[in-house]
Amino acid sequence: MVWLSGGMFAIACLMIVSLLAYVLWQGLWTLWPRTYSIYGRKDGTLVGGELYAKASLEGQDTLYLRTGNYDVSNQHFAYVSSSELVEPSGWLAPDLWLVERKEWGNLYGFPKQLSWSQADPEDFVRVVQQGMRQTAKIDRELGQAKNELKRIDEQIADARLGIRRVELAEKIDLQKAAETGSLEGLSPSAQKAVSNLGLRNRQADETMVEINARIAGLEAQRSERTLVFELPILDPLGTIAADWTDLRAGRLRDPTALAELLGTAKDSSELSFNAEPMGDGGLSEPGVEDQRLVCKVSIAGEPARRLMIRRLEDGRSSVEAFREHSILLADIVRFFPTNRLGIFQRLGVYASRWWEFLSGDPREAGMEGGFFPAIWGTVVMTIVMSLAVMPFGVLAALYMREYAKSGWLLSVIRISINNLAGVPSIVYGVFGLSFFCYIVGGYIDGGPIKAGFEPWPSAVWFSALGGLAIVGLIAFAISIFSGHAQSRRSPLRTVLSWSGGFLWLFTLGLIVWLLVKSPHFHGFYEAQLPNPTFGKGCLLWAALTLSLLTLPVVIVATEEALSAVPNSLREGSYACGAGKWQTIHRIVLPYARPGIITGFILAMARGAGEVAPMMLVGAIPLATELPLDGEFPFLHGSRSFMHLGFQIYSLGFQSQNSEAAKPMVFTATLLLLSIVTVLNQTAIWLRASLRKRFQSSQF
Amino acid sequence: MNRLKAIADGQTFESVIHQEVLDRDPVVSIRDFSLFYNRKQALYNITMPVAKGMVTALVGPSGCGKSTLLRSVNRMNDLIESVRIEGDMVLNGESIFAPSVDVIALRKRMGMVFQKPNPFPMSIFENVVYPLRIDGERDKTILMQVCEQSLRGAALWEEVKDRLSESGLSLSGGQQQRLCIARAIASDPEVLLLDEPCSALDPIATGKIEDLIDRLRGEYSILIVTHNMQQASRISDHTAFMYLGRLVEMAETSTIFTRPRLSETEDYVTGRFG
Ligand SMILES: Nc1ncnc2c1ncn2[C@@H]1O[C@H](COP(=O)(O)OP(=O)(O)OP(=O)(O)O)[C@@H](O)[C@H]1O
Ligand SMILES: [Mg+2]
Repeated sequence: MVWLSGGMFAIACLMIVSLLAYVLWQGLWTLWPRTYSIYGRKDGTLVGGELYAKASLEGQDTLYLRTGNYDVSNQHFAYVSSSELVEPSGWLAPDLWLVERKEWGNLYGFPKQLSWSQADPEDFVRVVQQGMRQTAKIDRELGQAKNELKRIDEQIADARLGIRRVELAEKIDLQKAAETGSLEGLSPSAQKAVSNLGLRNRQADETMVEINARIAGLEAQRSERTLVFELPILDPLGTIAADWTDLRAGRLRDPTALAELLGTAKDSSELSFNAEPMGDGGLSEPGVEDQRLVCKVSIAGEPARRLMIRRLEDGRSSVEAFREHSILLADIVRFFPTNRLGIFQRLGVYASRWWEFLSGDPREAGMEGGFFPAIWGTVVMTIVMSLAVMPFGVLAALYMREYAKSGWLLSVIRISINNLAGVPSIVYGVFGLSFFCYIVGGYIDGGPIKAGFEPWPSAVWFSALGGLAIVGLIAFAISIFSGHAQSRRSPLRTVLSWSGGFLWLFTLGLIVWLLVKSPHFHGFYEAQLPNPTFGKGCLLWAALTLSLLTLPVVIVATEEALSAVPNSLREGSYACGAGKWQTIHRIVLPYARPGIITGFILAMARGAGEVAPMMLVGAIPLATELPLDGEFPFLHGSRSFMHLGFQIYSLGFQSQNSEAAKPMVFTATLLLLSIVTVLNQTAIWLRASLRKRFQSSQF
Repeated sequence: MNRLKAIADGQTFESVIHQEVLDRDPVVSIRDFSLFYNRKQALYNITMPVAKGMVTALVGPSGCGKSTLLRSVNRMNDLIESVRIEGDMVLNGESIFAPSVDVIALRKRMGMVFQKPNPFPMSIFENVVYPLRIDGERDKTILMQVCEQSLRGAALWEEVKDRLSESGLSLSGGQQQRLCIARAIASDPEVLLLDEPCSALDPIATGKIEDLIDRLRGEYSILIVTHNMQQASRISDHTAFMYLGRLVEMAETSTIFTRPRLSETEDYVTGRFG
């Protein structure tokens, strides 16, 4: 038995540790800048890549390479069987650059030429960095201009909304008037709305031309500067007859043939040729010495070209060119000669990638770049959630533990709450969608009709309102009366308190029903319809749904904390003449605070990691706006948002290129895991340290 | 012995209260007071005075209802739902159990110290001035004045005057109990109720508390429950002997311990029984 249970324990530990280690390893390793090797295939082609993993597929060693250069090769990653390769170790070309771009992912290649500078290749790093600073400025200005355009659009949309509001309020059609701008026969408010739209349109016409011109100018500047790279992809040029030993030594006796192949130099004497050592080699088959050579050919007045010369059986040599590819300077996010970096430079790149990951916007549908909006969305949603669940949970627990008389009803409620914690979270998602988004959200947007209720006729509604007033008055009177009769324990008092409570409940229900059945309320966002404002998944409903989900956690933790308060403290307080609320507020709550806070943090951890309901009630894969930003009113409850957990799901399993997104998925997983772990650890630490503080050091 | 047996058999009998006790001016007088936990009766028709400015000790075997009686004086038993009472008590001429009594105001007129020290999880200062705080007192000078006065009264001032902002829980058990006494006298109560205040303390701390009670005599009227006969004889002016929910005999302490009227009392206080 001891072996069995011990073995199970070991297996459980192993599973947990290996899961953590796997996520940690993958998550930390993803952003590390690796070296880029170029491998020779037996069929003569090349394949280059950062080595992400080595695996054994169908009995063959297989390399999992990040090849990059998606715009040319149509792939980000490739599996290469080592039996295809002439040698399993590749060539670490020292002057190869890794360029992270805003579009198309990474580019790996040899910088050949800069459109704006005649600098020496040795100086490229400095010149390109300088250039990037200038383009960053252009990009900023461009962003500003686009923002101005957006603001003009918003103003026009606002003016249109104004007209729609007047239309709804006055039940008229202003379509014609808005088009022609004529104000004849319109009410003052309609006139105002129409002329406002006219004014906005005129302003837009004036400024738009200027802004568009500015944007065009900036775009032109942006596309002015380009870089030409030579990619590790070969295009055959032809064959030449040359002595291999000469070639190896960097000599070419008769350059005309090569010049002809290149099709550039008229006078082959201007052709200078030199063979470049290939580092560790790796492109030649073992045993066959120097089968391939990488050469640089410079022609006077032009940048050097990189060629691959391969020795053929018949003594001739084939010549292949590295394919050229040009990119915009403005598209570069980050670049570095990846094979030449020292450990500290590599650490620098690693840090800057993490920084971008934590603080930057996503690029390429989230596969590259940052997770900031997702992190921010998760954090804001969690905070709003805890603000909602905090008062609710604590007050409910306080009532159950301190005020309610214990009895079967309370036990049933307590058991139900405990069971609520076990309800699958997707159920909450469905509830949130159908209740919060469609019913409550629809009601806020467009009144009872939008929420799917049939309003009462006006007369019925007003008589119900009268009824409500009467019932409310009776309930009020009864509770005042039974409050006075407090010191007596009589059956009358029991009846009174029961019926008073019942009447209050009834009043509350009636208020809700009157709201639902009102014929006079048409929503706060009627003008925006049919575009929903709150009648869809958004931050507010997501937070409320999650607060329902975490309510049991908070209630249970708070109850536990309250019941841990020694009764002798309560008695001591009462003996001093404190009332119930004073005792709770001055003694019980402070003593229970660590436990309550712990409950909260656990609830936050639970809420932050929850994905299933998020998919239904407001998380989206790519949001252009943040739920909390510097724009009035700062917190935008009606916005959809990005969520870390949802991001993992949508990137890893829903994107077109989920294979390519996998590394990012691991990094995001690591991040989510660490957020949740940090929250949990804080809870544990807080509980321990505060408990110590409250422990008496008796005797 | 027969009388105690008769009580156990449920027969009625008259408590013996010596005239010297009745002659005193009472701060609390208990009048024909009975108390029930649900069906179970815990106190039977108790009638006894608590003399003003004196220390009255309640003694008796475990479970005889001493704590119950003490907790009835400031109506702490109201917190227990199953409790039902008959009879009444009077505090300085005012009824304690009349329906119109404001329990909160009533409790403010008494101080209570429990068996186990129960300082609140706050600073020493806040512990002492708690009764004033709940009355909404904000004036720092008044609070400080009361704090010093009460701590001096509880013979704790010298030990804690430099660490008033430290947690009340950082004190030793004996200090904690004196802190609780300081808290109990902070509101200048008309009567001080002590429920075995020394039973959780070592002899030295017990000695200090006894000295303290001795000093408080005269200034405060004290009703104290104790299990320790020596303690009762050392510190109290009057002693009441209870048995199974009834008051058996009450007299000046010296009388109870030297020449009680009932032989049962003599048996109990000399340790031959109980
Ligand atoms: N909350 C309660 N509910 C029901 N019965 C109680 C309760 N508290 C006390 N009793 C009963 O009332 C009787 C008197 O109890 P009480 O605590 O007053 O005794 P005591 O004289 O203080 O004993 P001790 O010297 O052990 O403290 C006991 O029989 C006890 O079982
Ligand atoms: Mg007791």
